[in-house]
Amino acid sequence: MSGALLELRGVRAGYGSIEVLHGVDLVVPPSSVVALLGPNGAGKTTTLSVACGLLPPTSGTVLVAGRNVVGVAPELLAQRGVATIPEGRGIFPNLTVRENLQMATFAGVDLRRVEEVAYGRFPRLAERRSQVAGTLSGGEQQMLALARGLAVDPAVLLLDELSMGLAPLVVEELYGIVAQIARSGTSILVVEQFARTVLGVADVAAIMVNGVVRSVGEPATIEAELSSAYLGG
Amino acid sequence: MDKFLTFTIAGLSSAAIYAIAASGLVVTYTTSGIFNFAHGAFGMMAAFTYWQVNVAWGVPTIPAVILVVFIIAPLFGAVVERVIMRGIEGASDVVKIVVTVSLMVALLGLAQVIWPQNESRPVPAFFEGRFVEVLGVRVSWSRLLALVVAGLVAGGLRLLFTRTRLGISMRAVVDDRRLLQLNGGRPGRTAMLSWGLGAGLAAVSGVLYATEQTLSAVTLTLLVVNTYAVAVVGRLRSLPGAFLGAVILGLAQSYVTGYINPDLTVGPIALGNLAAALPAIMLFTVLLLQPEARLRSHSVGRPRAPVVVPSQTTAVLGGVALVLALAGIGALLAPADLILVTKGAGFALVTLSLVPLTGYAGQISLAQMSFVGIGAVAMATWGANGSPVAVAASVAVCAVIGAVVALPALRLSGIYLALATAAFALFCTAMFFNQQEIIPSGSVQVPPLSLGPFTADTDYRQLVLLAVLFALIGNLLVWLRRSAWGRRLTAMKDSPVACATLGLNLTSTKVGVFALSAAIAGAGGALAGRTFTADSFSLPASLPVTMLAVVGGIGSIAGAFIGGLLLGAIPIASTVFAANAIGVFRFVAIPVRDILSFTPGLMGISLGREPDGAAPQIAVGYRAVGRSVPALVVSVAGAVALWLAARTGVVTKWGFAAALLVFVVAAVPLLPLVLSPARPEDTAEPPRRLACGLWLALATLVAVAIPWADRIASNGLRVVLMVVAAALSARVGIGVLGVTPEQLRRPVPLSPDLVGVDRPMLRADAVEATRRMGLSEDDFEAEVAALASSTNGAPVGPVTVPR
Repeated sequence: MSGALLELRGVRAGYGSIEVLHGVDLVVPPSSVVALLGPNGAGKTTTLSVACGLLPPTSGTVLVAGRNVVGVAPELLAQRGVATIPEGRGIFPNLTVRENLQMATFAGVDLRRVEEVAYGRFPRLAERRSQVAGTLSGGEQQMLALARGLAVDPAVLLLDELSMGLAPLVVEELYGIVAQIARSGTSILVVEQFARTVLGVADVAAIMVNGVVRSVGEPATIEAELSSAYLGG
Repeated sequence: MDKFLTFTIAGLSSAAIYAIAASGLVVTYTTSGIFNFAHGAFGMMAAFTYWQVNVAWGVPTIPAVILVVFIIAPLFGAVVERVIMRGIEGASDVVKIVVTVSLMVALLGLAQVIWPQNESRPVPAFFEGRFVEVLGVRVSWSRLLALVVAGLVAGGLRLLFTRTRLGISMRAVVDDRRLLQLNGGRPGRTAMLSWGLGAGLAAVSGVLYATEQTLSAVTLTLLVVNTYAVAVVGRLRSLPGAFLGAVILGLAQSYVTGYINPDLTVGPIALGNLAAALPAIMLFTVLLLQPEARLRSHSVGRPRAPVVVPSQTTAVLGGVALVLALAGIGALLAPADLILVTKGAGFALVTLSLVPLTGYAGQISLAQMSFVGIGAVAMATWGANGSPVAVAASVAVCAVIGAVVALPALRLSGIYLALATAAFALFCTAMFFNQQEIIPSGSVQVPPLSLGPFTADTDYRQLVLLAVLFALIGNLLVWLRRSAWGRRLTAMKDSPVACATLGLNLTSTKVGVFALSAAIAGAGGALAGRTFTADSFSLPASLPVTMLAVVGGIGSIAGAFIGGLLLGAIPIASTVFAANAIGVFRFVAIPVRDILSFTPGLMGISLGREPDGAAPQIAVGYRAVGRSVPALVVSVAGAVALWLAARTGVVTKWGFAAALLVFVVAAVPLLPLVLSPARPEDTAEPPRRLACGLWLALATLVAVAIPWADRIASNGLRVVLMVVAAALSARVGIGVLGVTPEQLRRPVPLSPDLVGVDRPMLRADAVEATRRMGLSEDDFEAEVAALASSTNGAPVGPVTVPR
């Protein structure tokens, strides 16, 4: 056993008759941040959907802490320590901030603890606790989503496109928190299309192109390869 | 003053019942995104179950209430969610509406089978005979009970939805089902709970209502329209809004009953029915006052299987074939059967009216029979001599009324249009069709059309007239669909937002298509040439029309015809099966006629699995016939030969029916395979064409020769055996041939754009791409050879593509 917290082995998956992942191998070691980069349509989000249990793979295995979890319902994975912040804002727009945080308690943390962590880290959320989440700004919404990842103290955190549609300053602030979550012992898999910010935080980076992981390595090495991957060289 | 107080208290207690019912409706809508048209039917089932348990079986009141309201109804709601509603999550508005409407019709049919209407079933009031004095007015305890229960429901729901995790996750599941899963919640269980809760609330209102009024399945089911009117005040989402609406409606109905003299008339219309029409009036008023709905740029839904729009030539040929087929079959029928087939053809015209509205534009109407009624009444009034001018006038009236009905609702979303049309149907029944001055003694005779020398005065002529009309309007619709306006309708169905950004006026387009649809339905009434009862224009009569049209496959003319056939087939089947019953261990015998009464509902519910309806599926089997000239010739020749044999009396009519069934079901779909020449891609074992052809001919001849009428006494058994024979012949035919049609169908080459996305590109793909670019295979080989020499003979791998 390699001791990886999350591992994908030879995962093939797709939508209907169209296969998107043609055998993905990926390892997320304990307490580390892995950045999964790649151009549009490479299969990054699909990889994440497979990892969190929303999309069953057609073949291959997904291991969480060494156990095969293919076929396990996403809600069970979530209750057992795999937290996912999906693409777009990972919030319920018609619930208030506080009600959104209450939804995090399915993972076994009580509401008081969730609120303590969330408001402690993001005081702005405390000011808006009774406001409907859909009326928050984009950055605040992403904070709320991230607060869940912070508060439930998961074993594995899957993050999809945290930076989407946000100002660079906000993105930097959010990735500061990602780094902090990583230091607390959580293993994190981050999917990003725009790589610069996340490479500063990541321990390992992987480039995905056309449904396979093309290369894995040190962030600095990978950064050099990026432009060729994106431009299809 | 006493009178005022009495009616106020009566109004408030019915307001309490409406409020409870509406809160159940709002709960299921906000927590599952599905507007439950069957909500009233849930309450109705609960009320009857309560009667069964409490009165028929003698269980005391309190255990009976607990059993029905807290156990049976919630379980029923949860099962409905699990079995039916989960399948339509994410489907279009039309499918959601049709499935819940079908559930309502099926439950209504089921209730009438279990609890036949010919018996009166009084439900004793709670606390019978106990009263309190309020400001000098005697108020029964049961009325107070309704108020108390409404208060408890309001408080309980508020607590549930804002204070408990369960309640909040019920709201969360509507926002984002997958996100709730990723949080660790269980959306499936949450949805079942919310349907259980909704059904429980429906049961409370149903039981309370049943203790006040007489128990009637139809009345209780249609009570749901009052509930819509009430819920619309809160935009279907707000509980306080629904409570406010309930108070307004309850009081208004009570005061109208108390203060308006039922003999008062406005023109020809008596106001006795005004209380029944109030929910509809209220619904329209509220819709008019609503601000226009904001268009939401939600992502594009599930792509539908594309409906192939036929060319105008195909449509003309189809129309001619339809007229000939109906004229041919009609000539063979006994008078009693001819009437039924003619009625079926009339229904087909009504389902056809939904093709532009529902099929092209994605809007829905639950009041098509009301337009048929308006057309029929107008024609009876103005066109006693059958003049075509009167027909035109009747159709025009329907178009105008259709536009007026649609206007307030069209500014809002699809569900509001369904509500508005349902309310319109109820309004018409109360204020128009049930008026002695307008339809005396409950039936209206539509004069037959008279066009120059032609008068549709026999059933056969009427059938031919309807077939010609169907063909003409069908062709008109195909032409419209292919025009710029037709593209506009389809675009609007796909994405209203995108249309609005392109500068398309959504409202005028929708009003136009609704008026067209109402006009076609009106023509169906004005040209029906038969007697209608006022009942056949009611809401319960309109619902199956919409349901079966969608089941038939509303995107196409053929689908509308199938829907009409289904509608027409139900009365025919219940005549054929009149004497038959299906027994269960000799204990229970359910008459087939009763089962048929809720089949339309079941067919509609099945739509959740196949949202595009039957027509596209059937078309797949027969499309190959259209492409193969020999198959087409043999099909037509076979049908004509059978018809001639029947016409001349060589073959009995039952023999003709059986042979036609076998021929159409078994032989025609296999003919293209049997008659096509051998092809290179045939497998090592070529299909046994000759043997299969002989088998099909033999099966058809045997079907002709069996003395059906002499040997088998029961009509029902005869029909069942025929269907079995046809299915068996088809099965054996495929067996003899040795291949299935699917295996022989040429594989559809994947678009070159997709190669490499779903699988690595192979050499064959490269060859295919070269060919499509207009180059030959030799060019490809030359290119590969050149590439190989330039890479010093290194092998060209399977994924390398010459650039």
